[in-house]
Amino acid sequence: MKLQQPLSISLFALCFLLTLASNTALADTPFEALLADEQNGADWLSYSGGYKSERFSPLSQINTVNVDQLKVMWAYQMRPTGISGAALQETTPLVADDIMYLTESPSSVTALDARTGRTLWHFVPDITNDVLNIGFPRINRGVALLDDKVYVATLDARLFALDARTGAVRWESKVADNLSGFSLTLAPLALDGKIVVGVSGAEAGVRGYIDAYDSESGERLWRTYTVPAPGEPGSETWQGDAWRTGGGSTWLTGSYDPELDLLYWTTGNPAPDWNGDLRPGDNLFTCAVLALDPDTGEMKWFFQYTPHDTHDWDANQIPVLVDGEFEGRQRKLLALANRNAFYYLLDRETGEYLLGKEYSFQTWAEGIDENGRPIVIPNSDPTREGNLVWPSLQGATNWFSPSYNPQTEQFFVPNRRMGAIYFKSDVEYEAGMPFLGGGEQPMDGDDASGAIVALDVMSGEQQWEFELQTPPWSGVMATAGGLVFGASNEGYFFALDGEDGDPLWFFNTGAHVRTNPMGFSVDGNQRVAIIGGQTLYVFGLE
Amino acid sequence: MSAKNYLLRLSALILWAVAISCAPAAFAQDLQNGQQLFQTLCARCHGMLGGGGEGPSLTRPTLVHAPDDEALVALIVGGIPGTGMPGSRQLRGQDGPDVAAYVRSLGELPPEEMPGDPLAGAEIYRSVGNCASCHIIFGEGNGVGPELSNVGQRRNAAYLRRSVMSPDAEQPRQVDRFRGSLNAFLTVRIVSEYGSYEGMRVNEDAFTVQMRDLSGKLYSFEKADLISYEKAPGHSLMPGYNSVLNAQQTDDVVSYLMSLK
Repeated sequence: MKLQQPLSISLFALCFLLTLASNTALADTPFEALLADEQNGADWLSYSGGYKSERFSPLSQINTVNVDQLKVMWAYQMRPTGISGAALQETTPLVADDIMYLTESPSSVTALDARTGRTLWHFVPDITNDVLNIGFPRINRGVALLDDKVYVATLDARLFALDARTGAVRWESKVADNLSGFSLTLAPLALDGKIVVGVSGAEAGVRGYIDAYDSESGERLWRTYTVPAPGEPGSETWQGDAWRTGGGSTWLTGSYDPELDLLYWTTGNPAPDWNGDLRPGDNLFTCAVLALDPDTGEMKWFFQYTPHDTHDWDANQIPVLVDGEFEGRQRKLLALANRNAFYYLLDRETGEYLLGKEYSFQTWAEGIDENGRPIVIPNSDPTREGNLVWPSLQGATNWFSPSYNPQTEQFFVPNRRMGAIYFKSDVEYEAGMPFLGGGEQPMDGDDASGAIVALDVMSGEQQWEFELQTPPWSGVMATAGGLVFGASNEGYFFALDGEDGDPLWFFNTGAHVRTNPMGFSVDGNQRVAIIGGQTLYVFGLE
Repeated sequence: MSAKNYLLRLSALILWAVAISCAPAAFAQDLQNGQQLFQTLCARCHGMLGGGGEGPSLTRPTLVHAPDDEALVALIVGGIPGTGMPGSRQLRGQDGPDVAAYVRSLGELPPEEMPGDPLAGAEIYRSVGNCASCHIIFGEGNGVGPELSNVGQRRNAAYLRRSVMSPDAEQPRQVDRFRGSLNAFLTVRIVSEYGSYEGMRVNEDAFTVQMRDLSGKLYSFEKADLISYEKAPGHSLMPGYNSVLNAQQTDDVVSYLMSLK
């Protein structure tokens, strides 16, 4: 589907007739388009701008020379739903053929004319104010597109397929039981004929899993649990019944390598979060990245970043797929800047650990050993009296996206620099209640800060940093124009020079930014978009 | 922040926690239930000790959205539309009031005996102290330092005594999620091509800083244009009064400030 301007009506009619004549279904965003998303600067077809999750725009019309001439082309104000606690917007808009699709908290979907920002349709699922969201805000991070449908995962744990033209519901599937603490906040990932989703809910003591659904029927194709049952591989890392409430939620969109035909998905903290005494062992496969067969969900390999985590350092960060030469050999790599303050490189064919390097101040590990296991500093666990540790539970980074510029081999990370006093307490599991076993008191104010850091993707060495006043909650996007777009908690949207981090342009959106930048073009003119508070801004030169 | 300051802050938090656990027995049961529910349902955003985090700090006597206990219970159970504050459907029966009682206890200031004469203190405030040259009370004075109307509701006598005698030792913290999280009234020294400036930081971000000088004049700077920018934590622009006021006068001024409610 393409939103047509009047001049191109006849062309549109011709295409339509040709489509009918060839007797094929209208396919607005075919799988083949998703495979080419990285090279297609005009559209932004999936959450991270392509299966490699680079969040890189190949457009260069806006560049280091002219970025200071950027202006607002249009803005869109989000719609209040009347549900309390749904005031944060964390969506990444998608653009396909001049139509923008975005979610609004908690789980609405809006289609806009990407030229003007005018609304085309708006879908509001029937979510009531008593929906459970345990351990995170009432937000949504975006939709997936495949063929003629738009997919949204909802806070009350359903998956909807909507008609891309009208927003009408094609099907709906129940992914999980919200009453026991499951929610869905992530943007689904569309593969060939499948929609993959993960769940939130480790703070409610759920047993996490990843699901794939048939994109046409909504039928569930497979489910892979992230915490093994007794007798299954990895079950030796749990004791007693702890696995039943073991956490390992899967709340951030993964990546996909079509050549290896492997799906990469990250997992969150074990439950309860801060009282590790209740779940002795490494607690596989929490705080890990999993490589799955997308047809069956079978786990091909795994790598656990933080064994027996007691600080709520989910590994739900974006796994970025990088191809390049590592130590003299061409390799297929998986790069991830972890919440635990270390940057990791893995071989994504085998899961082999290659590199682990501290990229942010931390006080919990002396380093990473040759097998990729952290060398934990004694007495860095939460205590009943409180124990000061860096980073805070929100981590050195979090769900918001990093960006990889394949042209310069630079990896850009939004970095939170804050410590916290961690507490441990007693807790008993009760379905639908928080299952935490402690908490934190963050050390904020002027004791905390943030930065955008540029790392050499192969070595993890820092090239430059751009300091932010407070720890950020927003992602970055590099472009072929030599820029890195980022945003701050103070509400600024800005462009840095990718070479040295120099700020070249900034704009005050008027409210905190908690989402990722994305880019597209209309009529050959490049656009970049960001949401500040409740307002989506789209910038361009002309 | 230095390790010493962390320890000081931690000690204060622990003292407060001990104070809570020593509350009268009949009420303690409710507070204990409230504390447990708070740590389970609220601490994720408001901090384990209520000192703020993703959500605002609750360790203050007056809460913007909850002028009274009824309003506080209602928002704990139902949330606040238009904000990040959800309701808590898990709360049953007496749970809501228990959490509310616990939240109230976070900012509760224990009743204190006034050490001096508030009327005499008001006179010292106006004359010897010349305090109105920098502070506004109920509409009167100059807006340079913090407004002191209702300061008796927000602070206790010990805090105000420290603030009057050694302002460097007390820097109020201001946590505002929409402005980021900044320490308030931080002294800053700025040199630009147009001159040198000293004042209190009003706001700051990665690109700009806003400042108010001792005459109350507001300035806005782009950091990229500055020759130098220095932050001076632990240095207040307010003069210390330990060499100006005797013990009795200090007691009187503190009593006057405590009477402002």
